[in-house]
Amino acid sequence: MPDQLTDAVILGGNRIPFGKAGGAYADASNQAMLTSTLDGLVARFGLAGERVGEVAAGAVLKHARDFNLTREAVLGSALAATTPAYDLQQACGTGLETVIQVANKIRLGQVDSGVAGGVDSASDAPIAVGEGLRKALLGASRARTPLARAKALAAVRPGDLAPETPRNAEPRTGLSMGEHQALTAREWGITREAQDELAAASHHQLAAAWDSGFFDDLATGFLRLSRDEGLRPDTSVDKLAGLSPVFGKGEGATMTAGNSTPLSDGAALVLLGSPQWAAEHRLPALARFVDAEVAAVDYVSGDEGLLMAPAYAVPRLLARQGLTLDDIDRFEIHEAFASTVLATLAAWESEEFCTGRLGLDGPLGTVDRSRLNVHGSSLAAGHPFAATGGRIVATLAKMLHDLGPGSRGLISVCAAGGQGVVAILEGC
Amino acid sequence: MSRVDVDVELLDRTPRVATSFATGVATGPGRPGARGELPARRLVLPGVRQDLPRLAGFCEVTGGLLADTVPATWLHVLTFPLQVRLMSARDFPFPMLGMVHVGNRMRVHRPVRVSEELTLSTWAEHLAPHRKGSTVDLVGEVRVADELVWEGRSTYLVRGDTPPGATAEEVRTDLGVAARASGPGRQVALWRLPADLGRSYARVAGDANPIHLSALSAKAFGFPRAIAHGMWTHARALAAVQPRLPQRYAVSATFVKPILLPSTVVLRTGGPGLEDLSVTDREGSRTHLSMQVDGPL
Repeated sequence: MPDQLTDAVILGGNRIPFGKAGGAYADASNQAMLTSTLDGLVARFGLAGERVGEVAAGAVLKHARDFNLTREAVLGSALAATTPAYDLQQACGTGLETVIQVANKIRLGQVDSGVAGGVDSASDAPIAVGEGLRKALLGASRARTPLARAKALAAVRPGDLAPETPRNAEPRTGLSMGEHQALTAREWGITREAQDELAAASHHQLAAAWDSGFFDDLATGFLRLSRDEGLRPDTSVDKLAGLSPVFGKGEGATMTAGNSTPLSDGAALVLLGSPQWAAEHRLPALARFVDAEVAAVDYVSGDEGLLMAPAYAVPRLLARQGLTLDDIDRFEIHEAFASTVLATLAAWESEEFCTGRLGLDGPLGTVDRSRLNVHGSSLAAGHPFAATGGRIVATLAKMLHDLGPGSRGLISVCAAGGQGVVAILEGC
Repeated sequence: MSRVDVDVELLDRTPRVATSFATGVATGPGRPGARGELPARRLVLPGVRQDLPRLAGFCEVTGGLLADTVPATWLHVLTFPLQVRLMSARDFPFPMLGMVHVGNRMRVHRPVRVSEELTLSTWAEHLAPHRKGSTVDLVGEVRVADELVWEGRSTYLVRGDTPPGATAEEVRTDLGVAARASGPGRQVALWRLPADLGRSYARVAGDANPIHLSALSAKAFGFPRAIAHGMWTHARALAAVQPRLPQRYAVSATFVKPILLPSTVVLRTGGPGLEDLSVTDREGSRTHLSMQVDGPL
């Protein structure tokens, strides 16, 4: 092992435009989307037939048959079949966690290059059989005689035949993510107007980025999509104000389908390498991976909001790097819900939260809104859970490269289970 | 390979295969056979939008992966209704029942995207003597605007009907491909084919020939059980090498012996690469399909 860590640099990325659940990618499996996205990356960087260090990716909604999803995608791609791969899963933090994992391995000299990211399909989600039927089928497959098999199957009751579809609910609380976030939004007093403004800005800025060609070398068209399917360039605060709340109840409910991310399909991948590997392949580095942090909160007892973990992870990461919010040129805060972003910003501005919860001397500070999600984020692009990290890393790396060497970017992604994955990149 | 000297019959919709089959069966008796002439017509169907759910089903049934660019065998499937329409038409010299698809060649000039609108065309040519009878080629083209992107040539054998006056030198024996492999080769994959494979493939490929659908309907045509579509076997073998295919390539296949369903068969390679493949029984003693891709894979 080398005495000194090498740098891990981000060389680019590839994603397919994100689709709406049941939309353009309704017929595409996770494996199809991930393989196509990988092939697009391979084509963009001229890696056909090459063995890269590893490919790490994951999916949140995953079929049992996809136990080796990423390796299967590699075998179905133009990469050398000798490229190792593995699946990793950390809910919506999956994509960013794979980038951290690959970057760490590069820094340690264990691999010289790697591909990281993820894929998700809300359209092709697995449906499980009910517990009664599942146990009967398992019993029948263990049975040694036809009679025993018949007995095992006879235990099935009509009610057992109803399939179980995956639900967007926390197993321990029974609340959906939106219902959890509605509690947080109320606690922090996040207004409907502020949420709709953030949502409208996300759509307008993402549309402007597509129009300007910013995504030309970050995305490859897939099936019938050349842009994100849920993008509404012509939306406005007025239009969004007309929508009815869907999360939270009664008076004061603020969260609508317009300021919450839609269920989506898509895949995104990032190419990383050591500076030496990049030079050998004549690939310019966009950004350097600096550091990362993961925090978790106790949302089960109600001590903290489900999606508030990044509010803890970021201050810890900044402290370790000796940085403040003012040292960050670009913020990428994943828009699970508009109110998630706004509650996180409010927490960092709160003396009570920062002293009481974070143990700081005072507020962490204020995020300059002109530096936040400048090319839009998940509200407009959509949020195929495990694909979001890869989308954000590639987007931020390119922005930082455009800003110039030494520019800094912060990524913050909240995840189910009360976790938050955050990272810092530096422009090359 | 285009015949510019023939008339064009412009179609405004995809011909219904079932209707063509019915016409072909009803009007089969009394055709002139090898003494007749092939129709001097080209069927042209412009403005074809590809059916994404059906393509996804095709990829699933043939072991492929839905991607932005479509398999060459899918483009064959799109031209198949035109082939059947032409072969069942009254001016086609042979009765359609009894025409056996024995060989297939395709050339991909560039990857074709699923979102592209296609113009399909098909005509018949090269009525030739064969040691077992006669062969006819059904030739197809796929264009995007005017650009030729795909060519196909399906060779059909009509047993026991040789064109009059054929000399020994004219007699066709090859059917388009010469298997380079010798011996059973190396096993690449084992495929377990279910009894309902023919029905599954018929749904996505639109080829509901009764010999593929069930044991009962196959028996009516002299087969002990349903047989797998030759083009299914071809599509599955091509899907197995899909990640290695170049942007432009040609592939040819010979349908040697039918696969009776259900069945377990083996994909084999004749050499170190994957450009020379065959599908055989488990022992490697009986060859069902031989497939060659031009160029190393």
